[in-house]
Amino acid sequence: MTISLNGVTKYFGRDLVLDDVSDDVPQGSLTALLGPSGSGKSTLLRIIAGLEPLNSGHIELGGRDVTNVAVRDRRIGFCFQDYAPFRQLSVFDNVAYGLKVQRVPKAQLRREVDDLLSLVRLEAFANRYPRQLSGGQRQRMALARALAIKPEVLLLDEPFAALDAQVRGELRSWVRELQHELGITTILVTHDQIEAMEIADRLVILNEGRIEQVGTPDTVYDKPANDFVQGFLGPMTVLNGVACRPHDIELCDVGLGIDARVTDVVRLGFEVRVVVQTSSGESSWVQLTHAEAQRRSPFIGEHVSLRVRTTADLFR
Amino acid sequence: MILRVVVLLYVGALVGLPLVFVFQQALIHGLGTFFRALGDHQMDTAMILTAKVALIAVPLNVLFGVGVSLWIVRHPSWLTRAIDTLIDIPLAISPIIIGLVLELAYAQNGWFGSGLAALGWHVMFSLPGIVMASIFVSLPLVSRQVIPLLREMGNHQEQTAATLGAGPVRIFCTITMRSITWATAYGVSLTLARVIGEYGAVLIISGNIALVTQTLTLNIGANFDNFNDYQGFVGAALLALASIVLLLILGVARHRERKRHDYLA
Amino acid sequence: MPVLALSTELSKPTEQPPRKWRLFGGARGAARVVRVAGKSLAVTYLSLLVLIPIAALATNAFSKGLGSFWDAATQRESIDALRLTLLCALAASLLNAVAGLATAWVLVRDRFAGQGILNAIVDLPFALPTVVAGVTFYTLYGPLSPFHVNITGSWIGITVAIMFVTLPFTVRSVQPVLESLTFNAESAAATLGASPVRVFRTITLPALAPALLTGTGLAFARAVGEYGSVVFISNNLPYRSQVASSYIYSLATSGQTNSAASVAVVLLVLALALLVAFSYVSRRIARARG
Repeated sequence: MTISLNGVTKYFGRDLVLDDVSDDVPQGSLTALLGPSGSGKSTLLRIIAGLEPLNSGHIELGGRDVTNVAVRDRRIGFCFQDYAPFRQLSVFDNVAYGLKVQRVPKAQLRREVDDLLSLVRLEAFANRYPRQLSGGQRQRMALARALAIKPEVLLLDEPFAALDAQVRGELRSWVRELQHELGITTILVTHDQIEAMEIADRLVILNEGRIEQVGTPDTVYDKPANDFVQGFLGPMTVLNGVACRPHDIELCDVGLGIDARVTDVVRLGFEVRVVVQTSSGESSWVQLTHAEAQRRSPFIGEHVSLRVRTTADLFR
Repeated sequence: MILRVVVLLYVGALVGLPLVFVFQQALIHGLGTFFRALGDHQMDTAMILTAKVALIAVPLNVLFGVGVSLWIVRHPSWLTRAIDTLIDIPLAISPIIIGLVLELAYAQNGWFGSGLAALGWHVMFSLPGIVMASIFVSLPLVSRQVIPLLREMGNHQEQTAATLGAGPVRIFCTITMRSITWATAYGVSLTLARVIGEYGAVLIISGNIALVTQTLTLNIGANFDNFNDYQGFVGAALLALASIVLLLILGVARHRERKRHDYLA
Repeated sequence: MPVLALSTELSKPTEQPPRKWRLFGGARGAARVVRVAGKSLAVTYLSLLVLIPIAALATNAFSKGLGSFWDAATQRESIDALRLTLLCALAASLLNAVAGLATAWVLVRDRFAGQGILNAIVDLPFALPTVVAGVTFYTLYGPLSPFHVNITGSWIGITVAIMFVTLPFTVRSVQPVLESLTFNAESAAATLGASPVRVFRTITLPALAPALLTGTGLAFARAVGEYGSVVFISNNLPYRSQVASSYIYSLATSGQTNSAASVAVVLLVLALALLVAFSYVSRRIARARG
């Protein structure tokens, strides 16, 4: 189901949190709403779900105007950041909640819930309570609960924010596969640009209530529409007064580039950051791969020369 | 919206109306009569007795409440767990029973009565008995406010202060007491309200002797029993005024406590 | 006192001589003495004022044997008083469970002018002496009622007085829990198609249940022992409108101390059992949810 936002505007009191936001989310896509905190991305998600009223604009789901349709009639799968488990209900009853509301017959309900639980790999936990689950398991329960009503739109609010790094990585790829398999139009909110680029096939970049850019991860990364997008999507540094990405700078033989002195070397395992000061006094840094760093082994105080890699270098 | 109206009507009828009515009755014959009634000798004597009782019972219970809370939270043992449970008993006991148990233990023919009487100490029908009854009824009111707060607070702040070289007295004054001030104030107001307002327990233990062991609440009751309703309402209005003041303190304490909480969260 | 202990533990210098060499010496010794003295005083205070008197009550009730205890407790006047007390307490605390939940709801989820006054006035029954409430209700709804409503001498009057006294219990136990509740679980239920009534019944109410039970339990325990606010409006008619506390009072003041103690033991055990039962159930529910 397509989602279209037309001029969505929202005030909290006198603060403008969403300023004339318009976008068309294609059927079956996985869109990430990406932006710093306070950019209005969660509010936009809640407005699409109907959890928050809007001041002006309208929202269509599959061509139907739902601006004034109540939450419970929108049939949207929504996952909250804290997963909002129904603490007094078992995992089974959590997932069954939406089906019970629809008065699905008992046998069918049992079957459907069992199917969902095996989809999210929680079959063995049906009779547990939310407090007995780990963060990742709760997340999967919340997803199964949202999927139970067979929504045509799935909205995920910071779905991985509360998980530790390893679980987060696993769940990301799992959610991505699941979304491809089910083909549900999905929007997820995140402040993590790496997560957004890894999972989504479409990015909507929000800042201070306005859309800065919409596009595939590649387009947005390689052709950022403005400084904000460029700065937000990855680390930036300045060389010779020009903004560039630290991994686009290379260390070359003295005399071939801008002269500089190494002031610090930070090893992060897979990458090494070389902090430098150019002869003009400008501070900058270079990102080297582990292999590059081993080959060159930069040390503090070393005199180096820097230049920005051009596309041509890659084919040399 | 409808719920709001229903709630306002319910609370208004149950609590607001009686409160207004007390003042209306006290002022029904005009301000002059009211002020003359304030000079009633029996009532004034009773008021002074109530003040005396409060001045003794409240500080004792506050001291006990804060101390026992610190003990229960910071040095848990089987003994503190027992105390934690026992301390709530007064809340579940009828004031009449409280009066009765004190009588059975401390009256002339009670467990310790004859011994105390030999020492010249009379608990029944005298100030010590009234104070004891007042302490009993309001025993847990301070610790019930302070204990949860101390539990939630933990002792990291105090340990930090200790690592910075603060001595025990300084730590207690600057860290511990500072954090529980408003909770304690809330407990103190509840204690004071309960002590001033106690009726049943004091009725039994004091013997209700006018001009001698009659507290203000007993005096109000006696005036009604003697068909002297107006004088009774004058006393009731005074107590109602006192409780409004206490209510304001309670409100401020609750507000401050919540602010502190928001700040921490 | 515990604070003192804390700092002595932390600042324990390694080169100090063993503690027994400096018994009572120095700040550390003094702190120890203060701590022990404080604890002993607290225990003495609690024992002298609460535990020993209650023990005296128990021994007095059974001093003439179980038979005489049983006779006193099962007198018709006693049974009637106990039954009336329990029924009125039950009616008042159930009504206040509903009204208190509604009041807490309005205080937390609603916004309107005068909310602060409502919030403050809810505490009034904690602050207003029971006898003031008692005489006021008697005058408002008694034989001289300005509204021509006379509920004295009946269970209705007693229940109304108890309702006044126990109003804050439910409100004040539900209110903080309601405040700490995020809307997310309720919103989640709404996205799953649940109606507002269903959301309240299946999500909100279960979350408030432990607090509601605790508050109602406290109210019930208080109601069972209520005296000052009830005694005026009840008229104290034996078999009809005499609550247990009044009956105990009349026994105690007419020289029948043993009988008074016996009925008191029954009332005391009832109140404590109720309180324990309520807090046990509410704790079990709370624990089941984690």
